[in-house]
Amino acid sequence: MTPEEHRAKALRIEHSLARLTDADYEAIVEGAMLAGTHWFNILLHRTKLFPETRDAMHAEFLTVGERRRVAAKAADALAALDSIEALRTLQVRGDMPGGEQAARTARECLARLRNAAGR
Amino acid sequence: MKIAAHLGKFGNLDASLQRLDPRSDSELWIWTAMNAGVHLLNAALHNAGVTREVDSFHTQVEGLYAVPDRTRGVFTDVLHEPGDVMHVGQPPIAQPLPSEIQQACVSLKVIEDLREPHVRGSEPIRPGAEDEWVRAYRDCVERLLGALGTKGKTQ
Repeated sequence: MTPEEHRAKALRIEHSLARLTDADYEAIVEGAMLAGTHWFNILLHRTKLFPETRDAMHAEFLTVGERRRVAAKAADALAALDSIEALRTLQVRGDMPGGEQAARTARECLARLRNAAGR
Repeated sequence: MKIAAHLGKFGNLDASLQRLDPRSDSELWIWTAMNAGVHLLNAALHNAGVTREVDSFHTQVEGLYAVPDRTRGVFTDVLHEPGDVMHVGQPPIAQPLPSEIQQACVSLKVIEDLREPHVRGSEPIRPGAEDEWVRAYRDCVERLLGALGTKGKTQ
């Protein structure tokens, strides 16, 4: 997708996230992953690491070589998306304690991705 | 996860879903409905003995589970038979599903198939489509709660 399309999607999802509280932590972690991935794709396209015809689905699914190239250009954004994705296993597909803290962490990481993409 | 944990997650996600509008919040509505449905599906599959009720969490990688050591708060990656499914048919289940669960999967797949066009992609939503999504979600939930019998009545 184009950066403009990714930006519109990310902003819509962030608008939806604003309806939820930290008690909705499963939905917040997932929404942060979705919106964050759209911000992340803006970065990938802008830095020419990925063409607009190819979007990343998850940071975890990048190849080792792709991750090294992304880290060289956008290390903090990659780390932020990694953090959100790690929360999915523990708090959405798993039932570990600390869900509300996870929601706050996910929102913080999402803000880092948004800032890196340059809202 | 254990059946009780899946039911708890379903309850949380279903409550979050009620705060979202299927049209103006379409992306997060689709995703939350899908996650709620998958947790209920896992509870029903475990309850029917089709998949094993184990204390492990499905990761983003199909068939790979994180097994918690709850005392030490650490996790080990383990490949094992399901266990929890991540989505309908992922990982595949060898044995046939009970009819009510099979029909619930058809409705859940309607929601799952919205991810690429409307969440990761930006295809326009045709007028009235969200009513079909809501019907599919309700059908999925009703069938799975029915399959769970008395366990589903706690929801």
